[in-house]
Amino acid sequence: MTLTISKISRRINQNWIIRDLSFQVNKGECLALLGPSGCGKSSTLRLIAGLDSPNEGKVYINDQDVTDIPPVERRIGMVFQSYALFPHLSIFSNLALGLKVRGVSEKQQIERVSSILSVVQLEHLSNRLPSELSGGQRQRVALARALLRDPHVYLLDEPMSNLDAQLREELRPELRRLILKGSQPVLYVTHDQQEAMAMADRIAVLKNGELEQIGTPLELYKDPKSFFVASFIGRPQINKLPIKNNIISAIRPESIYIDSNGISCKVIETEWLGMNKLVFLDSNIGNIRMICASNIKINEKLSISWDKSEELHFDATSEKRLT
Amino acid sequence: MIYALLILPALVLIFIVFGFPIIRYFWLSIHASSVLTGLTATPNYGANWIRLLNDDRFWLDTIQTIRFTMCSVLIEIVLAIVFALILNQNFRGRGLVRSLSILPWALPTTIMALGWRWIFNTPYGPIERIVSIFSTNSINILSNPNIAWIATVFADIWKTTPFITLIILAGLQTIPTDLYEAFKLESGDKLKSFFNITLPLLQPYLIISIIFRLAQAFGVFDLIQVLTLGGPAGSTESIGLYAYLNAMRFLDFGYSATIIFFSFILLSLFCILAWLLINKIRDKYQRNML
Repeated sequence: MTLTISKISRRINQNWIIRDLSFQVNKGECLALLGPSGCGKSSTLRLIAGLDSPNEGKVYINDQDVTDIPPVERRIGMVFQSYALFPHLSIFSNLALGLKVRGVSEKQQIERVSSILSVVQLEHLSNRLPSELSGGQRQRVALARALLRDPHVYLLDEPMSNLDAQLREELRPELRRLILKGSQPVLYVTHDQQEAMAMADRIAVLKNGELEQIGTPLELYKDPKSFFVASFIGRPQINKLPIKNNIISAIRPESIYIDSNGISCKVIETEWLGMNKLVFLDSNIGNIRMICASNIKINEKLSISWDKSEELHFDATSEKRLT
Repeated sequence: MIYALLILPALVLIFIVFGFPIIRYFWLSIHASSVLTGLTATPNYGANWIRLLNDDRFWLDTIQTIRFTMCSVLIEIVLAIVFALILNQNFRGRGLVRSLSILPWALPTTIMALGWRWIFNTPYGPIERIVSIFSTNSINILSNPNIAWIATVFADIWKTTPFITLIILAGLQTIPTDLYEAFKLESGDKLKSFFNITLPLLQPYLIISIIFRLAQAFGVFDLIQVLTLGGPAGSTESIGLYAYLNAMRFLDFGYSATIIFFSFILLSLFCILAWLLINKIRDKYQRNML
C-alpha cells in the first residue's frame, strides 16, 4: 500500500496554500509533515482525505488516482486534532456509527467494536460519553475509530497536540503499536520537531506551502538543505553566526565546547535542561547558545570553540545550503 | 442556610410577576364577578367551573386552539430547520438574506394581520384574483369555516418561522464542522449525516423552540382578533379570544378568569408532555444506538 501525491497545489482566492507539492509514502512507512502553523500541512492532509480538492495535481492511493472520488471511497483512517468524537453518542456508538451507516449487521458491529475497544483497552468505558473521558482516553477512541475503518491510509492531524507533555510521551508507544506497525502508509502532521523525530521514518519540512526538504530525521539534522530546515530541526536551536561574504555560517549548540584558546564570552542567561544547562553567551560574534555542565553561573567568563567541519554554510540571500 | 435568603428578593419578584396573577385568577374563578354582581366578587362555590364543563362553545374553542397550535408549531419547526440549513450554507449575500428573513418577526402582529386580511380578502385580495383567472367560483377564504382556520395558521407560520429559524441557526453554528468531516470519511450520505449528527445535536434548541412556541400559539389572541374576529361562525375562535370576550364584552370577570386558569393548566400539561416526549426521543437516539 502506498500514498503518492503529485504536484498538488491549492489556492484560496489569490493565496497559494500549497504549491507544487509532491511526495510518496511507502508501505508501512510513517512520514511526518513538519512546519510552522500556516505552512499548509493540515491543508495537505485535507486534500488527501478528500475534504478539499486541489486546484492542480493528483492524489494516488495504491497507484489508483483518487483525486476526484469522494472521501468515503478513499478508505481513510483519520485522527483529527480535536478528535471529532460525536458528543451525543457513547464511546461504543461513536465507534459503531461508521459501521452502522455503511450497513454492517448489528451482530458484526458489536463484535468489531468490542474487539477494537479491547485493543485500545477501553472496554470498561464503552458506555461513557466522550465528555466523561480524559484527553488521553478520547485520543485512544479517535485512534480506535481510525483503526476500525480498516483503511488504506492513515492520516493523523496533530494527534497529540491537545495532550500534556507527559501524556504525549506515554501515548507514543501506543500510537506505534496500534498504527505505525501496520502495513498502511501513515501521514503524521505535527509542528513539534521532537515528535516528528520520535515517530517518523521520514520527515517532510514544509514552508509557505512548499516542500523545503524531505528525508530521514538524521539526514535533516546532519544535512539540512536550507537554513530554515537547520533552524527548525534540532533543539536547542542552531546558532547563526555573523554573515560574511554573503554567507551564513551556523553551528549547533551541542557542537560547541569550552576551550581556553577560543572566543571569549560572558554568560548572560542559563536554562536547566536536567543533566546539563543551556547557556546563552554574549560575545563579539553575537549571542551564542551552547550546552554546558550544570555548574556554569551567570556573568561567568568563558572561552569557547568548535570544530570548523561541524559548521554549516548557507547562501545569505536564498538561505540555501552551500556545499 | 442563611445564604438561601439572598435569593429572596428574586423570589419575591417572581411571585409578584407570575405567582400573584395565577393565584388571583384562581381566586376570581371561584367567585361571581360580573355586571349582575355590580363587578364585586362574591363567592359562588364553583358555579363558574360547572358552567365551564357544560360550555360547548368553550370546548369547541379548546379543540380549535389545539388544532391551531399543533399545525402551526409542527409546520414551523420543520420549515425553520429547512431555512436554517439553507441560511447556514455559504453563499453570496448570505448576510443580507439573513437580515431580510427576520423581517416578518419584526412586524407587529396587528400590522401583519391587517396585511394578511387584505391578501385573503374576497374579492379584492391577490389570492382571489389569481383564482378568478381559472375559475368563476371564489374561495371566500375568510368566510368559509373550513378554510379560514388554515388562513390563520398560515399567517402565524409566516410571522413566527423566522424566529425559530434564528434559534435553530444559532444551534447549527454550535456544531463543530469536523464532526461532519469525520462522518464524511465514513459515509457520503448527507441525509444520514443530518439524522445522526445535526438533529441530535440540535435537540436542546428544538426543546426551547417547541416549548416557547407551544405557549405562544396556545394563547393566540391578537392575530385572530384582527384577521377574523373568531369567525366565521366561531370557527377560528381561540380560548384566548373567548376569555377576552367574556371579560371585555360580557363583563363576566369570574368566568373569564375560570377560562384563563383552565387554559393555564392545559398549557402546562402540554409543555410537560412535549418535554417528556423530546427527552424520550433523545434517550433513544443519543448515547446508545444499539
